[in-house]
Amino acid sequence: MQDSKADAEPFIIFELAGTTYALPSRLVQQMEMTEHITPVPNAPHAVEGVVFSRGQVIPTVNLRARFGFEKIPIDLRTRLIVVNIGNRTVGLVVDSAREFISIPFTSIQPPNEAISGLSGKYLDGIATLKDRMILILNLEEVINQAEIVGGEQPSSASI
Amino acid sequence: MRILHRMNTKNILVVDDSPTMRRMIVASLGELKGVAFSEAGTGLEAIEQLAISTTSLMIVDLNMPEMNGMEVLSFVRKHQAYRSMPIIVLTTRADDGIRSAALAAGASAYLTKPFLPRVLAARVSDLLSLEQ
Amino acid sequence: MSIAKTDPKNDFFVKFLDDYFAECDEHLTLIRKHLLALEPFINQPQIDRSLIDELFRSFHSLKGISGMVGLTEAEQIAHQTESYLRRLREDQVILTSEALETLIAGTHMLEEVIAGHRDQTPKTEIAPVLARLEKLLAGGSTRDSVSDVSGKHAVTELSIAENERVARALQLGSKVWRFEFVPSASLSERGVNVNNLRSRLQEIGELIHAAPRVLEQGAIAFEFLLATNVDEVSFASLLGDGLTYTAFESALPILSSVVDELPRASQSPTSRSFSNVVRVDLGRLDDLMRMIGELTISRSRLDDHLTHLESGMAALEWRPLQEINQVMERELRALREGVMRVRMVPFSEIFERMRFVVRDLARENKKKIDLELIGEETEIDKFLVERMMDPILHLVRNAISHGLETPGEREAQGKSPVGTLTLRASTVAETVMLEIADNGRGIDGGHIARHAKAMGLVDQPSSFSTSTILDLICTAGFSTREETDRAAGRGVGMAVVRNTVLSLGGSLNMDTEVGRGTSFSIQLPLTLAVADALIVSVDGQRFAVPQSTISEVIEVESSAVKAFEKNEIIQHREGVLPLIRLAKLFGLKENAPAYFHAFVVGRESNAVGIAVDRILGQREIVVRAINDPLIQVPGIAGATELGDGHIILILNPGDFTRSATELRVRPESNTDAQL
Repeated sequence: MQDSKADAEPFIIFELAGTTYALPSRLVQQMEMTEHITPVPNAPHAVEGVVFSRGQVIPTVNLRARFGFEKIPIDLRTRLIVVNIGNRTVGLVVDSAREFISIPFTSIQPPNEAISGLSGKYLDGIATLKDRMILILNLEEVINQAEIVGGEQPSSASI
Repeated sequence: MRILHRMNTKNILVVDDSPTMRRMIVASLGELKGVAFSEAGTGLEAIEQLAISTTSLMIVDLNMPEMNGMEVLSFVRKHQAYRSMPIIVLTTRADDGIRSAALAAGASAYLTKPFLPRVLAARVSDLLSLEQ
Repeated sequence: MSIAKTDPKNDFFVKFLDDYFAECDEHLTLIRKHLLALEPFINQPQIDRSLIDELFRSFHSLKGISGMVGLTEAEQIAHQTESYLRRLREDQVILTSEALETLIAGTHMLEEVIAGHRDQTPKTEIAPVLARLEKLLAGGSTRDSVSDVSGKHAVTELSIAENERVARALQLGSKVWRFEFVPSASLSERGVNVNNLRSRLQEIGELIHAAPRVLEQGAIAFEFLLATNVDEVSFASLLGDGLTYTAFESALPILSSVVDELPRASQSPTSRSFSNVVRVDLGRLDDLMRMIGELTISRSRLDDHLTHLESGMAALEWRPLQEINQVMERELRALREGVMRVRMVPFSEIFERMRFVVRDLARENKKKIDLELIGEETEIDKFLVERMMDPILHLVRNAISHGLETPGEREAQGKSPVGTLTLRASTVAETVMLEIADNGRGIDGGHIARHAKAMGLVDQPSSFSTSTILDLICTAGFSTREETDRAAGRGVGMAVVRNTVLSLGGSLNMDTEVGRGTSFSIQLPLTLAVADALIVSVDGQRFAVPQSTISEVIEVESSAVKAFEKNEIIQHREGVLPLIRLAKLFGLKENAPAYFHAFVVGRESNAVGIAVDRILGQREIVVRAINDPLIQVPGIAGATELGDGHIILILNPGDFTRSATELRVRPESNTDAQL
C-alpha cells in the first residue's frame, strides 16, 4: 500500500484517450465496472445517463465527451469513478482505471506550463513521475453544471 | 356481524375456522337464489348464531378449535327448535369413522373436502328445496 | 416451467389464492413457533395437550384449504403430519427427536411447496419427505382413530383435563368462577357476543371451560369457567350485558398427584378469537396512502390560491383562512404518519422465522450456533418485510454455511466451539438498521482479489477496501459457491441482496476481519414513496408513468393520426386529442407500426395523448428522487429500479401537458462533439 507521507498525496490514476489523469483519492467514493447506465433524454451530450450508487440516483459524465473526444464503446476495461464533492455525487466514465499512487508534492507543477490545449482551469497541476506525465484534474470545474449544460468544452487537445 | 333476516330469504350459516374456507364455501353457493349467508369461526359462535337469528341450513366443518363440529351437531340435535334443520358436515378424506358417527348423530349430508362447488350447491339446493 | 399440479376442477377456487397464501402464512407462523416449543417434550410420557391441539388444527386447516385450491402436494404433507399429530394427541406414541426432525422437515417442504406455487417456480420433489412421514406413522399401531370427540363436555360436566386445571388453579391460590351468558340479537348488534366475551374473560384469567347449554325455558346460554386472581370488583364492567356469575365449587376432590406430573407449557394457548385484530389487505393501505397523497396535492393548490388571495383580501378575513389551511397541513401529516404506522410490524416477525431456520441450518452444517436476536420490537414497514425476507435469509445462510466454522475448527483457533450469530434491529433517525453479524472466519480480501483477477475483473490484485470487496462479491456471477447452496435455483445471490436493498432506497455495508468475523449492515428508509406505475417502452427503453397521472390508455391506429399545423391529432371520444410522440420528445428512434399505444394525461382542454411503442404492464415502484442538476430535465420526475439492477426513469406527464413545443430535441444531443 502507499505510505502516507505528509509531503505526498494519494491519487487515483486513470486513462482517457491515451492520456493519464489523476484525481485525489479522498474525493473518490468508489470505482466500479460500468454496469448498465440508463440514458436520460435531452440531457447534455456529456451526460451519459444515470446509475444507482449507494441508494442514490447519480448522473454519469462521459469524460471523453466532456473533454471533446470521440466517445468509444464501453468495454471490460471501462470504469466508472464515483466522486463526492461538496454535496454532489457524480460518476465519471473513463477508459480504464486501476492504480492508486502517492504523488509527492515536489513532482507536481502548476498547469500554465502545460502543453497547449486543455484550458488551465480544468487542471490543478501536472505531475511528472519517472517518464510519465500525469494531468491532475480540478474536479469541481470538470463537473461544473453550468458548463456541461451550456455545451462548453475545453478546446480540443492536441497532445 | 349483523344478521338481516328477510321473510323469504333462506339464511345459511357457514361454520369453519378457516376464513379462506368460509369464503370459498360462500362463493360456491353464489349462484343460488333467495339465500343469504352468515358465518361463524367456532362452535360457540355457531350456536350463538343459531340462538339469535333464524337459520335455514347449516354447513359445518367437523374439525374446529374448542368445540368441534360433532359437538355442535350433537348439541343442536338435542334442541327442539333445531331437530329438523338441514345440516351438512364437511369432512376430510380419511375420516371414515367420523362420517358414520356424524350421520348417526343427525347430519343431513356430508361432503368431503376438497369438494366441487356445484356439488355443494346441488346439495344445498336440494335440502332447502330451492327453486333454480 | 411446470408449476405445482392443480386439478382443473379446482379452477373455481383459484381466485382465492391470495386469501389462501395469507392464511397459510398465519398457520405456518404458528406451526414454527409450536414445533420449537415441542422440544422439551421429547421422550416425555406426556405432552402439553394444547400445543398438539394447536398444531393439529393448523395442519388440518392447511390440508383443507390446500385441497380446495388444488395444491395436492401441500395437502398430502399436511395430511400425513396431521395423522401423526392425531396419534400423538391420543398418546399412542411418544415424541422422539427423530420424529420432531421429521415434522420440521415436513414443515419446510410445506413452506417450499406453497412458496413455489406462489412464485410459480418449478415443482420440488416431495416424495422423500413424504416417505419419512409415512415411516413415522408406520412405527406404532395403525389403529385409525375412530372418534374425534375427545370425551369432552356434555354441557356442564367437565372433562378430566378440565378438572385437573381447576385443581391446579385452586392449588396456586386463584379462585374459580362460573359465568353464564345468554346471547341475544340486540346484544350482538352492540358487539356483545360469545367471542368478545370469551376474549375479555381470557384477558383477566385462565379460561378452563367454555360450552353451550340449554336452559329450562329452552333458551341457549354459554357457560364459562374462569380461574383468576383478579378481584370480583373488576367483573362489574362485564356484567349486565347478559352475563351473570357465581363462585365455582368443584365437586371432585383435588387430584394433586396428577397435577404435578404435567410439564407446564411455556405459554398459554393462543386464542382464536376474532375480537381485537383486523386483517388488513396491504392494497387497502396503499389506497389510503394514495388518497392522502391526493389530499396533499389538493391542499397545496389551496395553499397556492390562498397566497394569491392575500393581497386582494382584508387581513382580518384572510388570516383565519390561512390558519385553517395550516391546521389542515398538520392534520394531514399526522394522518399520513398514522396510516404509515398501521403498516408497521415488529421485527419479531422476521426473527421468529430466523430462529427456525438457524436451528435447522446449524444441524445441517454440523455447527453449534448461538443465535442472538436484539431489537425485535423495532418496527418496519410490512412491505419491506416481504421484500427483505429472502435477502436476510440468504445472509443468514451464508453466515452459517461459510462464515462460521465447525466446533473443531473454532477450538483449534482458541475460540469457543459455539459460534455466535447476531441479528440486531434498530431505528436511527429516519432509517431502520439491521445488522447480521457472525464471529466466524471473516472474508479474506486477498482470496477475493485473486478470484477477481482470475475472472478478469481487475488487473492488479492490490489490497482492497471492504467496500470494494463488497462490490465484488455482489457482482452477479462472482461466487461459485452459490450453486451448491441450498438457495440455488431460487436466484438469491449477493447481487440480488444488494439490488433489493438498493431498490428499496437503502444501503448495504460490510465489515470483516479475517479470523474475527463478518458483519453486514442494511439500512432502509422508514418512509417509502411507493406508487403504482405503468411501464411503457419506447425504442427499447423502458419508462415508468405514475398511474395517478393517467386518465386512460388507448390503442391508436397509425392511419387515424392526422396532421394539424405542426401537431398530430387523433379523434378521441367527442373531440380531438393532440398526440405527442415520446420517441420524438426524447430524441429516440421513431417506429412506424400499424398501431401503437398511448396514454392520456391531463384533463379536458389540457388532455394530451402520449404515444409510446408498447405498454408493458403495471408495477408498484419505489420512487427515488433525482437530485443532481445535471440530470434534471423536463419530462423526468425521478427514477426507480425494477429489481433487476437497472434504473428506469419516471416520467412527469405534467410537463407534457404544459407545452409540447417547449420540449424539443436539443440539436447537440444527436451530434458528436467536434474536435
